[in-house]
Amino acid sequence: MVEFRLPKNSTVGKGRIFTATPGATNVKNFRIYRWSPDDDKNPVVDTYEIDLDKIGPMVLDALIHIKNDVDSTLTFRRSCREGICGSCAMNIAGENTLACLKPIRDIEGDIAIYPLPHMPVIKDLVPDLDGAYAQLRSIDPWLKSDTAPPPDAERRQSIEERAELDGMWECILCFCCSTSCPSYWWNGDRYLGPATLLAAYRWIADSRDEHAGDRLDALEDPLKLYACRTIMNCTQTCPKGLNPAKAIGRIKELQLERKA
Amino acid sequence: MSNPKKPHITVMRSQLSRARGLGSGQAGVGHWWAERASAVALVPLSGWFVIQVFRLAGASQPEVAKWGARPLNTTMMLSLVILTFYHTQLGLQVIIDDYVHGKAHLPAGLLMKGIVFLLGLFGTVSVLKLALAGSSRGRIAAG
Ligand code: SF4
Ligand code: SF4
Ligand code: FES
Repeated sequence: MVEFRLPKNSTVGKGRIFTATPGATNVKNFRIYRWSPDDDKNPVVDTYEIDLDKIGPMVLDALIHIKNDVDSTLTFRRSCREGICGSCAMNIAGENTLACLKPIRDIEGDIAIYPLPHMPVIKDLVPDLDGAYAQLRSIDPWLKSDTAPPPDAERRQSIEERAELDGMWECILCFCCSTSCPSYWWNGDRYLGPATLLAAYRWIADSRDEHAGDRLDALEDPLKLYACRTIMNCTQTCPKGLNPAKAIGRIKELQLERKA
Repeated sequence: MSNPKKPHITVMRSQLSRARGLGSGQAGVGHWWAERASAVALVPLSGWFVIQVFRLAGASQPEVAKWGARPLNTTMMLSLVILTFYHTQLGLQVIIDDYVHGKAHLPAGLLMKGIVFLLGLFGTVSVLKLALAGSSRGRIAAG
């Protein structure tokens, strides 16, 4: 549902300021969204003055430094710190991206950091992605084949067939795209969102899969698929440089193709 | 005793059940395609219309009436009017789908379609009036 104003208990207040150690010369302000389920307080934005000479080059380095040395209560997700697990997805300087791949020096002025937009917040920078994961599960993101595989070998694909999957197998399911999409904000209870639709097309396009028709049947829905209005936020924000909007366009073309 | 501080949970349905919902509505491609096809058809029709407006600029009422009575012009004008309002209705439905939810969704769509239908019909009747009035006057003059 469209919401033009934040609900009362979500309006963001001013938080604390953690000043830099005296003598620091290369200081940058990180303004970070804080909210805890453990008290009844509204969210606030805390400001951390960080000496960039003390930390690595990425935004995630700053977050880890804050948690280790400044304020251990700051909560965020991260694992691989090299853009492959998808867990450090957040909104940095107004853009959904991976903290571990976002260089601090690319951002001018203070760096505002919020959780992925329009998702329920579990704590601080950790969004609740259960609904998005369930949507992914709903499209059966695995190979479905009725032909038995060769007894002594893997299922084979031509070089051309394998190339069809380029630009899709690289998706790390960080959900930066889905949470940047206005259609997903307004209708996320029914619209599947670009991350899940990219995954759906990945299996439709796989030459080894034998259930493209069922998959298309399951997507033929005014909201599940067609709530995509080709706004292209998804493609613009994807930290892996993928193009979910194109995959969605291909699904729509296939829906048309099988009608004639 | 229920604990007043503990919120009452009304939805315990699993996330997967919510994601699957009522399944696929088996609709969407028709609307999507009609929107695009009508948009493409409207490009030459609108171009033709703009040219006609320039050609008729400053023309007298009888000249315009004569123009409107020509079968080719009537055909083009009716195509333009009908497709414009058909396309308008498809586009507005998309906006309603995006922004109006719950119980208001169906009545909002019906109201919008009713208004667009009446406007389109008014345009159609106007074009026909010009076409038929012109031809009947022509017959009287001939007789
Ligand atoms: S398409 Fe890109 S932004 Fe979307 S989930 Fe995959 S990697 Fe993340
Ligand atoms: S192209 Fe579709 S999925 Fe991507 S942001 Fe736009 S509406 Fe969302
Ligand atoms: S920590 Fe794994 S993607 Fe950033």
